[in-house]
Amino acid sequence: MSQIRIALADDHAVMRTGLRLVLERQADFSVVGEASDGREAVALVQRETPDVLVMDIGMPNLNGIEAARQVGAAAPQVAVVILSMHSDESYVLRALKAGARGYLLKESAESDLIAAIRAVHAGKAFFSPAVSRMLVEDYVRQLQDREIEDSYELLTTREREILQLVAEGKSNKEVAAILNLSLYTIETHRGNLMEKLGLHTVPELILYAVRKGVIS
Amino acid sequence: MQIGMSSRAVLWAGFGSLLGLMVLVAVSANRALNRIEESSRQIRRGFLERDDLLDRLRANLYRSSIDLRDYLLHADPQLAERRRAEIQHTEQEVAAGLRQYRKDAPPQETAAVDELQRDVDIYFSLVEPVLTWDADTRSAQGADYLRTQIFPRRQQLLQISDRIRAMDAQQLASGETTVAAVFTSFRREVVITTLFTTLFGLALAFFAIGRVQALEGESDTRYREVVRAREELHQLSARLVSAQEEERRNLSRELHDEIGQSMSALLVELGNLGSALPPENAALQERLRAVKRLAENNVVVLRNLSLLLRPSMLDDLGLVPALKWQAREVARRSGIKVKVDAEDVPDHLPDEYRTCIYRVVQEALHNATRHSKATHVRVTVTHEQSRVCVRIQDDGVGFQASQEKGMGILGMEERVRHLGGSFQIDSGSGHGAAISMQLPLSAAPEAVATL
Repeated sequence: MSQIRIALADDHAVMRTGLRLVLERQADFSVVGEASDGREAVALVQRETPDVLVMDIGMPNLNGIEAARQVGAAAPQVAVVILSMHSDESYVLRALKAGARGYLLKESAESDLIAAIRAVHAGKAFFSPAVSRMLVEDYVRQLQDREIEDSYELLTTREREILQLVAEGKSNKEVAAILNLSLYTIETHRGNLMEKLGLHTVPELILYAVRKGVIS
Repeated sequence: MQIGMSSRAVLWAGFGSLLGLMVLVAVSANRALNRIEESSRQIRRGFLERDDLLDRLRANLYRSSIDLRDYLLHADPQLAERRRAEIQHTEQEVAAGLRQYRKDAPPQETAAVDELQRDVDIYFSLVEPVLTWDADTRSAQGADYLRTQIFPRRQQLLQISDRIRAMDAQQLASGETTVAAVFTSFRREVVITTLFTTLFGLALAFFAIGRVQALEGESDTRYREVVRAREELHQLSARLVSAQEEERRNLSRELHDEIGQSMSALLVELGNLGSALPPENAALQERLRAVKRLAENNVVVLRNLSLLLRPSMLDDLGLVPALKWQAREVARRSGIKVKVDAEDVPDHLPDEYRTCIYRVVQEALHNATRHSKATHVRVTVTHEQSRVCVRIQDDGVGFQASQEKGMGILGMEERVRHLGGSFQIDSGSGHGAAISMQLPLSAAPEAVATL
């Protein structure tokens, strides 16, 4: 069984110690290093190239969002899980735009971290259940406010398949391979569904997929 | 105020006595003029009366001497008798005239009148013996007696009466002089009184002008004090607001970053503890879960408290995310549909602008949920070249801005004014309420530390 190599970044040592304990109970997890601020985290990732970086959103010197952006630029294969106390969607969106694949509330870190690491390592997105719930609720309310029907209904079956795969982190090429379609067809479908949903970026698409329960 | 009271009293007294003086001058001038007129008339009348008496005296003397001549020179006894009676009558008239004259005569003439009286007595004492003469004696001695005794005496009498007349004329002249003197003194009196009144009026005017200037100066000083006090009050309230904001920010950060992080770590460790516990010890497991739930609740309370104090998005992410969060919160709590339209607003507005706009919107939304019965609120933030405009419009019942100027609205106005912006409330009852504000962007916007 291949090991999942994990790096931890949090400015609270107690938190790091606690999380390390949580992670080390998993036989296939190995913690390869710890960092206490954003700069150290970026350096650690460059040195160790872990599979997953679990990082606090607010840290001195370089905050988690900025560090995630730099990690994404330097080592795009590293999946970033953001730990945060903020459950509001603006933080979630900001984290996703910076390249994070998972967003965990600290209060539920102990119970959700394992699942989150496994999900992002498998190329999927992961959000704390409380966050997902809130995102969905807000979205439903917005829909009601606008009094428009569910935009998801506008999508074709093919487009829904592509939505899920893209939201799970697959590239266009991978999606084309899975669905046995040409790359050009995938790009067309993807353009159409983004237009129907009024979305412009992949993070927005992931957020949408979470809200709709397409991915969890 | 003591000074105001006393100077008012002085002004009342001053103007009162000035008017009194003027009335007094008019009355006394009138009285003096009357007096002068009266005494001038008396002097003239006295002179005329005495002149008349003297004339009659002279005429009587002439007549008596003519009667006497007729009496002495005519032999006719009847005629002589008549003349004698006339002479005696004239003598009585002269005596009466003289008595009258003595009564009216001024004291300076007493000696002259005495002399006249004596000479008149002598004259008539010369005349009286003649009246007892018979016709022969008269024709023998009459002409001689007339020429040597009577005529010279009569001439003397006339001279005395001339002197008296001259004295009378002098008296008249001196009376006129007296009147003139009285006039002169009256004129002096008038001049002095006028001068005094004028000086008094001038003094009063100077005093009044001085007081008015002093009062003007005082009111000017007071006005400046009020303006300064108001300015200080504004500054103080702005400082209070910013101090309060700063404190809220610190408290919120402290709660969130320190206590919140510790609580999170605590939760993780509690989880670890749960894993370390033997699974068969159900009671202990249950107690640990209860502790964990307690801690989780605390985290929720902590987060809400922190957001209530000051939402971290405002500092971490900028104005628009904070406004959208606020809108979602209000919608979640109250069911009001809140739409935020703020796409073209930069995140890097200066801190105090972000705070000001956020707090105004917060207060407006708060008002909308409490009073307005609104179902929809639209928050619009637009960024123009040199200013930021914010408008919060609801579809509720509105309110009377002039009457319900509560602390909330005052606070909003105060915040906006401190940044040099303008603030309007447009709320006719029944048409919903719209709160608008415009903030000038004078300084270069400072960058906000965004996550």
